[in-house]
Amino acid sequence: MDGYPLGSLDHNVPLIVVSGLSSDPPEQPPKAKGQGVLLRSDLPPLEGKEANFLESYFEEVDERGKSWTVVTREDHFRLRVKTVGRTFVLPSRRATLPETIEPLTNTPILHSPFSPLSPSSALYPDGLMNAQWIKKHQEEIPSIFVCFHTLTSDSKIAVQQDNRLKSALNGMRATLVESGYKTRLVVIILGDAEAKANLTAEIGQDRLEGVRRGTGLDPKSIFYIPPQESPSELRRVMDSIFALLYNTAIEYYRDLGRHARKKRSRGIVPQPTLPPTSGTSQTLSLPDWNFRYDFKSAIFAEFRQEIDAAIRSFEQAYEILLGQDVLDIIPSWSPRWNEARLLADIISIRCLRLHLWMGQTSLAVRRWQSHRDRISDFVDRRGRGTNNYGWQAWESRWAMVMANMIEMVEVPGLGPSTMTIFLQPEKALFGERLQPWELLHHTGYWYRIAARHLGARRTLAHRIPDDDRGAPDASPASRVASKAIRYDTYMCPPPHEEYPLNGNGINHAQLMIDCLLNARGQFQARKQHRIAAEISLECAREMATLGSWNEVLAMLRPLWEDKSFRSEWWLDISEDILWVMRRAAAETGRADIVVAIDWELMNERFTRRKNWHYDLAKSLDGVSSTSRPFITISDDVASSFISTSFAFRSKEGRAGETCLAQLSLKSEALQAAAPVTLSSIRVEFEGHLKPITLIHGSDLPTSSSEAPVSVTLVALTEQLGGDAKESDQSEKEDKNDGDGDEDKAKDEDEVEDKDDEKEGQLTGKCDLTLRPGHRQVFEMNIPLREPGQASASRVVLTYKTDTFELDYRLSLSESGKVTGWFVQGATKPRLSRPDGHILHIQPRPPKMKLRLVEPLGQFYANEPVPLRIGLYNEEDDSANVKLDIRIVGKVIPRFRVDAGEHKREVDTAEEESQVTGLALGHIDSSSSLELSIHLDPAPAPTAFEIQIRADYHLESDAATPIVQVLPIHLNIVNAFEANYDLMPRLHPDPWPSLFDYEDLQDVSDGDVIQARGLAQQWCLVCHYASFATEDLDVIGLDLAVTAVTPGGRCQVVNQPELSADGTIVAPKTMYEARFGLVAQKITLDDRHPVAIDLAFVVRWRRRRQLAEGENNTINVTTMTVGQYMVLGTEPRVLASVLHSSQEQAGLVRLDITIENPSSHFLTFGLVMEPSDAFAFSGSKQTTVHLLPMSRRTKTYRLLPLARGVYIRPGLVVRDKYFQKVLRVIPTEGMKIDKDGLLVWVPLALEAEEKAEG
Amino acid sequence: MSAAIPSVACLGVIGRNNNPLHISIFPSYDPTANAFTPIRNPLQFSLLLSSTIDVFDLRSKTSTASGDFGLLHAIDDRLAAYGFETNTGVRMVCIVDMRGRRVEAGGSGVAGPGGGAAGASTASSTSASAAAARSSVGSVGAGLRDSEIKPVFRAMQSAYVRLLQNPFYDPDEHAPLGGKGGRRITSKKFGDDMKRIGEAWTPGVTNL
Repeated sequence: MDGYPLGSLDHNVPLIVVSGLSSDPPEQPPKAKGQGVLLRSDLPPLEGKEANFLESYFEEVDERGKSWTVVTREDHFRLRVKTVGRTFVLPSRRATLPETIEPLTNTPILHSPFSPLSPSSALYPDGLMNAQWIKKHQEEIPSIFVCFHTLTSDSKIAVQQDNRLKSALNGMRATLVESGYKTRLVVIILGDAEAKANLTAEIGQDRLEGVRRGTGLDPKSIFYIPPQESPSELRRVMDSIFALLYNTAIEYYRDLGRHARKKRSRGIVPQPTLPPTSGTSQTLSLPDWNFRYDFKSAIFAEFRQEIDAAIRSFEQAYEILLGQDVLDIIPSWSPRWNEARLLADIISIRCLRLHLWMGQTSLAVRRWQSHRDRISDFVDRRGRGTNNYGWQAWESRWAMVMANMIEMVEVPGLGPSTMTIFLQPEKALFGERLQPWELLHHTGYWYRIAARHLGARRTLAHRIPDDDRGAPDASPASRVASKAIRYDTYMCPPPHEEYPLNGNGINHAQLMIDCLLNARGQFQARKQHRIAAEISLECAREMATLGSWNEVLAMLRPLWEDKSFRSEWWLDISEDILWVMRRAAAETGRADIVVAIDWELMNERFTRRKNWHYDLAKSLDGVSSTSRPFITISDDVASSFISTSFAFRSKEGRAGETCLAQLSLKSEALQAAAPVTLSSIRVEFEGHLKPITLIHGSDLPTSSSEAPVSVTLVALTEQLGGDAKESDQSEKEDKNDGDGDEDKAKDEDEVEDKDDEKEGQLTGKCDLTLRPGHRQVFEMNIPLREPGQASASRVVLTYKTDTFELDYRLSLSESGKVTGWFVQGATKPRLSRPDGHILHIQPRPPKMKLRLVEPLGQFYANEPVPLRIGLYNEEDDSANVKLDIRIVGKVIPRFRVDAGEHKREVDTAEEESQVTGLALGHIDSSSSLELSIHLDPAPAPTAFEIQIRADYHLESDAATPIVQVLPIHLNIVNAFEANYDLMPRLHPDPWPSLFDYEDLQDVSDGDVIQARGLAQQWCLVCHYASFATEDLDVIGLDLAVTAVTPGGRCQVVNQPELSADGTIVAPKTMYEARFGLVAQKITLDDRHPVAIDLAFVVRWRRRRQLAEGENNTINVTTMTVGQYMVLGTEPRVLASVLHSSQEQAGLVRLDITIENPSSHFLTFGLVMEPSDAFAFSGSKQTTVHLLPMSRRTKTYRLLPLARGVYIRPGLVVRDKYFQKVLRVIPTEGMKIDKDGLLVWVPLALEAEEKAEG
Repeated sequence: MSAAIPSVACLGVIGRNNNPLHISIFPSYDPTANAFTPIRNPLQFSLLLSSTIDVFDLRSKTSTASGDFGLLHAIDDRLAAYGFETNTGVRMVCIVDMRGRRVEAGGSGVAGPGGGAAGASTASSTSASAAAARSSVGSVGAGLRDSEIKPVFRAMQSAYVRLLQNPFYDPDEHAPLGGKGGRRITSKKFGDDMKRIGEAWTPGVTNL
C-alpha cells in the first residue's frame, strides 16, 4: 500500500474543522497570499481545562476517523477533526493564471486548481485525476467549520463582548459565502463555571438568542454547552453534538455529489482556461470527463458511507477507464498511462475495501483477480507485456495490497484467534461455482503470493542485459529511449536501479524475507506449522543468498531440532533442509551441526549429491573451528545411517555363567560413501550388566570378506572399576562362529575374580570398520554376575578423526523391537523374537549341597533334638561359606550350633531365634564339613521351622554370591498320653476324736505340724499309652503332687514298682499304673474341701540310644493329671468287702461305712433287700445315728449262692432327715452301675488266694 | 479462444504417521511455452502435501463423519488442495491446478497428455467431461465445487483398497503402529491407478 499517493486510499469520512481552542500554534502566517480564503476572528482562543480536554477528545475522534474498519450503525459518527486556532485558510477555489503567459484579451474562465483545465494543475491538459483532489476534500475543505466561543459573565462588558462575537461570526460567514464553499458554520458556546454562577438561565438564553439572531445562524448551528461536572459528561455532550453535526456533514457531501452528477449529466466537455501549447495538445474527451465525474461521486458517496452508491460509481468509473476510450488510447510510453493504471489500482482497492466492508469476501477476491487479469491483459496488449520484472513487482504489490487491506479492514472471522484458514463465501455467492481461491484466505497466503512474485521479479531482473543496467547518463540516448519503451516501470524502479551494473540495487531477498516472515507469523498463529516450516526454509534460502548464515541457522535450527519432516519421513524435504543447514553450519563454524548432518546424510534414504565426498573424516574440511571439538549427538536429534540391534542368544541366563550376545551394526550409508571406522563402541545396559566397550584394533585382520553380513567373535576382558592396572588383554579373533562354544570355557578362565568391585566394564578389541551396506555382527560372551533383568539400553558409537571426536548415542530400549540372531553367511537373522535385548538372569544354581547327615526321625517333647548337617562342596572350586541358621516357632528352646572350632549358643527366645554369619571358612572342592545343631528339650509338643542358609562364593569368582538353603520342618509330639481315674478307698485309720486333748500341741513351736484332721485314702488309676513310633523303655513311673490347698496335705502312699531296666512300652498299647494317695487336713476344724493337683511322671528313654551306647539320657515326661477335690463335708457311704477264708469259704463280709464329716447330727436308715443271689446276716432294716465328725460301720455277712459272678446287694442308705438316698461308693473289689453296688464273688480258689494275699 | 479448466496437479496419499505413502505429479498446461510441464517441482509438491496435514489436523476437531474434508485450502490463486481421510487415518490429497488444462472454445476436446492413453472407455467419459467442462467454463468464473472432487477420492480409495487386498502389502510396514515414518507404496499398479485417475479427471467427471 506504500507506493500509492498519500491520501489516495484513505477512508473518506467527513472533515470538521474546529477553531478557537487553545492548542493552536500561534498565528501561522497565512499561506501564500491570495491563494486561499482566510477565515479569521480576533477573539482570543479559549483556554482552560475544558479546552484541553476537548482538544484531546478531538484527537481521539480524528484518530478513529482514520481507521479503515467499516462504519457500522453502532458508530454514531466517524469524523476527521482538525483543530486550528482562530484562523483557517481554505484553498482557493480558482486557479490563478500562470505569470508567464501573456495577458489575454477576454477574461479567462478560471477553474479549480486541481482541474486539468487549469494550466497550473499537474493534470493540465490531459490528466485524468489525481490524489490531490481527494486530499483537498479530506484534509482542506471542511464540511463544517466549528467555532468555539464563550460568553463573558461580566455583565458590564457583556453587550460589548456579544457584539464582538456577532461581528466576528458575521465576518466569517460572509467570507465563507464569498469563497463559494458550502462549508457550514457552527458555533459552540462553552459555558464556564463563572458563567454558571453569574448568569441565570433566562439571561443566558436571551444572550444566545441575541447572538444567533445577530449572525443569522439557524438554530441547529448554535450550541451551548453548559459547564459539566466531569470530562465524561462533557464527552457525552460532545458526542451528541457530533452525532447531530455528522448528519449535517453528510448533507454537505450529498450536495457535492449531486453537483458532480449534475455536471456529468450536462454531457459537455469543458474547455480549459488556456488551450494547451506544450506537449500534446490533446485535452480530455467526454468519456474522460465522465470518468472524473463518476470518480468524484464515488468519493463523495464514500464520504457519506453510502457503500452501494460508492461501489456503483466506482465500477462505472472503472469501466470507463478500462474501456475503449480512455486507457486504450493513451500511449504506453506516456506518463499518463501509468497514471491511468494507478487510478485503476486506486479504484480497485477502494472497491475491494467496499466489498470487504459489506462482508462480500469472495466478491472481493473475485474483484481482486479480475482487476489483475484485466490489467495483465491490458499490459500484454498495449503495454510492455507481463514477462518483465515490472509486472511481477506489481503482482507482488497487488497481493500485498490485499494482505494489508485484510489486516486494516479487520475482516471479521479471519483473525489469528479464530483459527480459520479461509472464509466461506457470502450468501450472495452461495452455491455458485467458485474458484477455491475466491474463498478469502488469511493474510499468510497473500503474503506468500507476494513473496513468490518477488522471487519471479528477481529472476526477471537478473535477466536484464548488462547494457540496460548502466546509469542513464552513462549510456547513449538511444539506449535510454529504448529502455523507456522496453521496461515497465510502473511503481517500480527503472532497470539501472532495480539491478544496477555497479552497486546495490533492490534487495529482493530482503523484501522476500520480510514478506515471508509476515506470512510465517500468520501461519504459526493458526498452528499451520508445516507451512510455517516450509516458509522458514524459503526464508533460509533467501538468507543464504544474502550470506547471513547465522540467521539461516537460527531459522532452521528449530526445524532441525524438532525433526519436522524427518520424523515423518518426508525425505526430500528433510534433505533440502539438511543441505541448507549444513552449508550454514559450515559457514558459521558450527562443527557439531556439520558433523551431525553429515552423519545423517550418509543414509542411503537420501539421494546422492554429485561430487560429494560422503566421508566423515572430511566433514570438517573447510570448517573453521578453533579447537578439536568433541561432539555428542543422539538419535533423537539426528537419525543415523548405522542401525544397531542387540540380542541375547537366549531369554534367560544364569549368574556365574556366560551368555552369548550379538551386537549388530548395519551401515545404511550410500554406496558411494567411504567406509567408516569407529574408534570404539560402548553398549550400556539397564540392570546388572556391566557396560561393554569394543575398541577398534587396527592391527587385527579386517573382515575383508565381501559378504553382506560378517559375524565376528569378540573376546571380552573384564576390568574391574578402580583397577588402575590394565588387566592383560588376551584377545582372540575368530571368524567362525561355530567355535563359540569352545571359547566359552576359555573365556571363563580369563574372567578374573575380584570381590567387592561392582563398577567395572568389559572390553573387547576388534575391527570396527563399516562399509556401506555392510552388516557387522559382534558376537560376545558376556559373563553374567548378578541375578535380575538386564536389557541393553543404548549404544554409543565413538568416531575419532584428527579434526573432531564424535559420540553418537543410539537407544536400544525400544520395546517390542524384534531382533534376531545372525549366523555367518546368511543375510537375514534367524530366530527373530521381540525384546531380544532383554535377558533375565537367574541366580547362580548353587552346587554346594546341604544335607541332614541322618534322616530326620520323630522327636518327642522333653527330649533334646540333635541335628547333624553336612555341607558337601560339589562346586568346581573351593568355596568360602557363611552360615545362617534361623529357627521359627512358638518358643524356641536354647540351642547350640557346633561346627568344629566355631560354636554358638542361643538362649530361649519367643517366635524366632537365629545365628547369623557363622563363618565356616573354606571348604575345598568336593570335600565336606559337618556341623551339628542341638536343641534343648521342648517342654511341650510344638513345631519348628529351621532354615539353614549357606552364603558362599567361589574363590575363583568372588563377585558372584551364591546361596544354598536347607529348610527343615521339625514337628515335636508327646511321647505319651494318659487318662486318669481317682477312686475313693477306705482309710483304715480311725477318725480323730473331737474331744481328744492329748493330741493338742503347741503350734508356736514352729515344728512340722502333724496333721490331725480327717484323712481319706484314694487310688489314682493311670492308663497311659505310648504315642511313639517305636518301643520305648519306661524306667520309672511317679505321681507327683504338684499342689495342695493350704490346710491340706497329700502324699503318695504306694506306687507301681518297675524293674531297673524298665519295661518296654510298645506303641499304641494301654498300660495301667495305680497310685495310692492319702489326703489329710491339718486340723479338724477346717471344713473346706481340699484341691489337689497331680502330675504323672514317666521316665523313659529310647531303646536305640542304648544300642549305640552313646547317650544314655533318661527323658522325663510329666503329664498333668488335673485337679481333684477331696475331703468335702458331705457325708458319704463307702462299701468295702472282705473275703474271708478262715471261715467258710465263700462268706463275704460287706462293711458299710458312713462318714459324717459335717458338723451336724445325722440319722440314716439302712435297708438291705433280700436277694436270690446270696443270703445275708445283719439287720435288714436299721437306723444309724452319726455324731458330727464321726463314722460308723455296719457289717453284713453275705453268702453268695453263685461264684465267679457279681452279686448285687440291694442296700439303700437314706438320710432320714432329708429323705435322700445316698450313693454307696464302692472300693476295691467292687463296682457300681446305675442300679447300685456290685460285689465280685471270686471263685473258691481265687477267693482263697485273695484272702491269703 | 482457449479457456483454462482445472486439472489434477498432484495426488498424494499420506499415511497414518503423517508420512508420505505416494505422490503422483501431473503436468499442467503452460501457456507461455505452450507445453505441459508440472507447475511445481517434486520438492515443492512434497511441501504442499505436508502442509495439508496441518489443515487436516485443524479440521479434524470438527471433522465430518464421511471423512471428506472438501477444500483444505487454496495455496494460491491457481492451486488448491482437497482432502479426504479414510477411517484408518490414511489421508488422500488432491491438488488441483485451476488452470491446468485448456479447452478450445470451439470444442476440439481436452488437450491432456494422458487423454489418449486412457483407453476407449475413459475416452468417452473424457469427451463427455470435456463437454461438461466447456459448459462450466461458459458459466461464471469456471470455479469448482467440492463435490466435483469426490470421484477422485472415491477412485483413490478403491485403488487403495485394492492395494490393501494384496497379501504382499503390509500396511503396518508403511505406517508402523505408534511408530514414526513408514515406507512408501511401491506398487506399480497403485501408481498406474493414480496416474489414470489424475489424468482422467476434469470437472464434471463422475466416474473414474
